Amino acid sequence: MRVALKIWRADAASGERELRAYEVDAPEWVTLLDVLDIIKDRHDGTLAYRKSCRMMICGSCGMRMDGAAVLACKTRMQAIAASGHVPVVSAMGNLPLIKDLVVDMDPFWAKYRAVNPYLKPGYTVPPAGREHRVSQERMNTIHKESLCINCGCCVSECNAMDASPEFLGPQALAKAMRFAGDPRDGAKLERLEGVNGQHGIWECTRCYFCNERCPKGVDPRDAIAKLGAESIKEGIDRDMGAKHAKWFVTSAKTTGWLRETELVPKTQGIVEAVKQVRFALGLARVGKVPPPFPPHVARDVRESRRLYDLLGEQNRRGYAGIVQGEKALARLAHGHIEGSRDPYGEGSFPRPFIAAEEGAP
Amino acid sequence: MRRVAYYKGCLASLSAKELDSSTKALAPRVGLELVELESVTCCGAGDIHEAEPDYALHLNARIISYAAATGADTLMTVCNVCTLNLRQANFQLIGDPDLRARVNANLMAVGVPPYESDVEVRHLLWELAEGNGYERLKLAAHKGLKGLRIAPFYGCQILRPSRVLGFEDPDRPSSLERIIEACGGEAVDYPAKLKCCGFPIIQAREETALGELVQPIEQASDAGADAIVTPCPLCHLSLDAWQSKLRATTGRDFALPILHLSQLIGVAAGLGEAELKFKRHVVSVSPVLAKLDP
Repeated sequence: MRVALKIWRADAASGERELRAYEVDAPEWVTLLDVLDIIKDRHDGTLAYRKSCRMMICGSCGMRMDGAAVLACKTRMQAIAASGHVPVVSAMGNLPLIKDLVVDMDPFWAKYRAVNPYLKPGYTVPPAGREHRVSQERMNTIHKESLCINCGCCVSECNAMDASPEFLGPQALAKAMRFAGDPRDGAKLERLEGVNGQHGIWECTRCYFCNERCPKGVDPRDAIAKLGAESIKEGIDRDMGAKHAKWFVTSAKTTGWLRETELVPKTQGIVEAVKQVRFALGLARVGKVPPPFPPHVARDVRESRRLYDLLGEQNRRGYAGIVQGEKALARLAHGHIEGSRDPYGEGSFPRPFIAAEEGAP
Repeated sequence: MRRVAYYKGCLASLSAKELDSSTKALAPRVGLELVELESVTCCGAGDIHEAEPDYALHLNARIISYAAATGADTLMTVCNVCTLNLRQANFQLIGDPDLRARVNANLMAVGVPPYESDVEVRHLLWELAEGNGYERLKLAAHKGLKGLRIAPFYGCQILRPSRVLGFEDPDRPSSLERIIEACGGEAVDYPAKLKCCGFPIIQAREETALGELVQPIEQASDAGADAIVTPCPLCHLSLDAWQSKLRATTGRDFALPILHLSQLIGVAAGLGEAELKFKRHVVSVSPVLAKLDP
């Protein structure tokens, strides 16, 4: 079959960039990576990209297709070629470009190293001749996080990192959960402290791009929520993000609905909240600051308070409360949307916006 | 009329009352009979999920259970965050009978009916973007929008994670564009329409949040949009109320009106200020209304 694509060719050293079109003959089973290999071997030896295993385990070939991060070796081309769509391939986002599809991974590895991605044994050594045994149930806590291959697809799309490059980001935080939740690790509290800094878990903006893009089903956003819940369970709750989250809990068990007006002082403290008074008055003028008294109380709110007390006795606080739901959620197929329109099909509406075609790669 | 259980959530009860009033006024015109849930609480907004996730699951289960008790097969939301939290809990309960049994036992222990017959959680947007809802919408929007240029802003948690939401392709959604065009407006395309508005961290990390918020506001303004429409009251709050804070970083005075989905359709359907309550917006909607009724 004929496969056509466009590639953003770029060179950070010279600052040159150009969208170049390619069309090659390829067998029907090819992946995007195979097509790049064909281009490099037979058409244009100057094309730069990373690859190694070709089987979705080394994590080298992360790049963007039509503005979305993918593993090139996991992306089949047949349906796309058959539809006549010409995809645009570019380098991953949120990492400095070096050449063509190659980005500088140094900032990625620096964040990875920052979470100490290795076990710090905390178990007692079993009697001579025996091995240390861990139940499957306890390992399930970090099953998804253990699947990470460090490809960077999540980091490429992270909206918080786009706005704040220092943010530790989905990959490093999922890795932190992989060790914080490991029953053999002895440094959980130290790890939780480590992810509670200025650019830690509470900077995550919950855009869910990481879950959407991860080619391995790691669900980094869920790992971040697990770290948050476990931090709060362990009393590590000084961050404004943690105070913000806890105020929702207080609201739910006292009035049922969010106590919106008190949220700012409860999150930021009185001193910071006072600095926002002028801004708040602007909102109050149009009715956006509901008066806290009398409180807006949900009917039968006693039930939600009693639920909270009841659950306190059931030992599911912290990440256990998220892990318990993962089995059911895992049954929902990744990337499959029942009845959804073929994005490349006829009559696809409206014009898809292809970020890489007009914007910077 | 299609009878659905209606969960309005915190914002539509409090700072975004205009969302509730416009939704209720619009509903009969698009064939929806809303059964409002009374004995319900906050869904946790993702915050309780990140603080006390087991409690968040039970709060959502309680809401879903009361929705099922109305006899309706659909729990309709008007907020992205409520939609994700409720759908996530619902999938956990439907997909794991052991977990459902435990949650139901806890619900019954505090006097809540157990969650028995399944309901589906759907956003107003999905009700109106296809099928009968879409056909009714086209009839209801008789007054039209006179070609107003409307920028759709989806908000994250109605698209991603797609395996929990799954209504449409998360990278090439079209529901808002369909509705804008059915109402007689012109949909404006811009890259940040699928990105985050920054709202979840706007209090804890304002600088980062504003770095996100600036993208849709700047791009939609530069693309010549008359207004942005969003299906999420949290996106609405950050896009509308925090818009003025962008002056410090950009030096620009944006004055881009932000409409709730129900307000946009409401305008096209000829609803008035009593239901739409544009006076409750921080950024004035008058320029939009002036173009429609010069």
